[in-house]
Amino acid sequence: MTAETLEPLDPVIHATTRLRIMVTLAALNDGDTLSFTRLQDILDLTPGNLITHLRKLEDAGYIHTAKTGAGTTSQTSVTLTHHGRAALESYTQALRKLLTGL
Amino acid sequence: MNGPPKVDHPQTAEDDGGLDPREAAALIEETARLARRQFQPHAPYVAVLGAGVFLFGYGAVWWSMRNQHPYTTGPAGWSIALLYGLVTVSAIASSKLLTRPTAGVGGRARRQLRGLAVAVWAAGVGAWTFQGALRYLGVSFEIVYGVYGPTMPLIALCAAAAGFAAAREDWLHLCVAVAIIAVAAGSTFFGPWGAWGLTGLGCCLVLLGYAAVLRTRLRKA
Repeated sequence: MTAETLEPLDPVIHATTRLRIMVTLAALNDGDTLSFTRLQDILDLTPGNLITHLRKLEDAGYIHTAKTGAGTTSQTSVTLTHHGRAALESYTQALRKLLTGL
Repeated sequence: MNGPPKVDHPQTAEDDGGLDPREAAALIEETARLARRQFQPHAPYVAVLGAGVFLFGYGAVWWSMRNQHPYTTGPAGWSIALLYGLVTVSAIASSKLLTRPTAGVGGRARRQLRGLAVAVWAAGVGAWTFQGALRYLGVSFEIVYGVYGPTMPLIALCAAAAGFAAAREDWLHLCVAVAIIAVAAGSTFFGPWGAWGLTGLGCCLVLLGYAAVLRTRLRKA
């Protein structure tokens, strides 16, 4: 696979863990949130690893994280933004075109 | 299978490159399948449980009074106890099956479910209060417990569920709710025996059909 063929794919999404995060969140209905711990459990990731990737996705505006409560009772929830859903859709379309051309 | 997708994915924080498009496509498919299984309530099992309640619970009540012509003492105590026992066990099992996949999920879905719970609760309480009022006003046991009891609360609960399904454009659940309403309403023409027997059998068949559709959908997914 050459660098040119990969060019149309969104580099923020085109990474194993971030792609899995995006696809998992996209399986929820629009507007639904998922707790950090459930997402970590589903993807079988360490907290540090998940936080790193969530930060990158949040910086791109693809996800939104919100923290509720304080101390030991605090809970972080993650949701896919409209922008993120659209970006994933564009990514899968680009991937489809790319695979058709192979 | 509830494990992570069987695609080679080193779980490092810096896996920004090197993902082949074919691998990416396989990863999307596998992850989407896993996510759907994780979030999908075990609805086919819940439907089968409900079908069992209708067949054996309503069936037991029908069986206990099948020879009462005319209606005299009504259903036997053991049949009512069996019906409520089955309803209780099924409600506990269903709530466990339905809530586990939604653990950690919040937002709109959670708010919609709370709204549905309120609507169903109001419909049930209204129907049962009305039943009490009918008896208080002197309407016969045959009508209050033989015809109204097995059908009207069910119709009210399903009407609330149908409204919720229609608002979400959830046509499958709308069809199931409307089918149950039709079965329950139609069976009232056959008196207490028909109300218990036909409602039990008809709703059992509706729910088994619903379970089969859900199972097919899950397999296709």
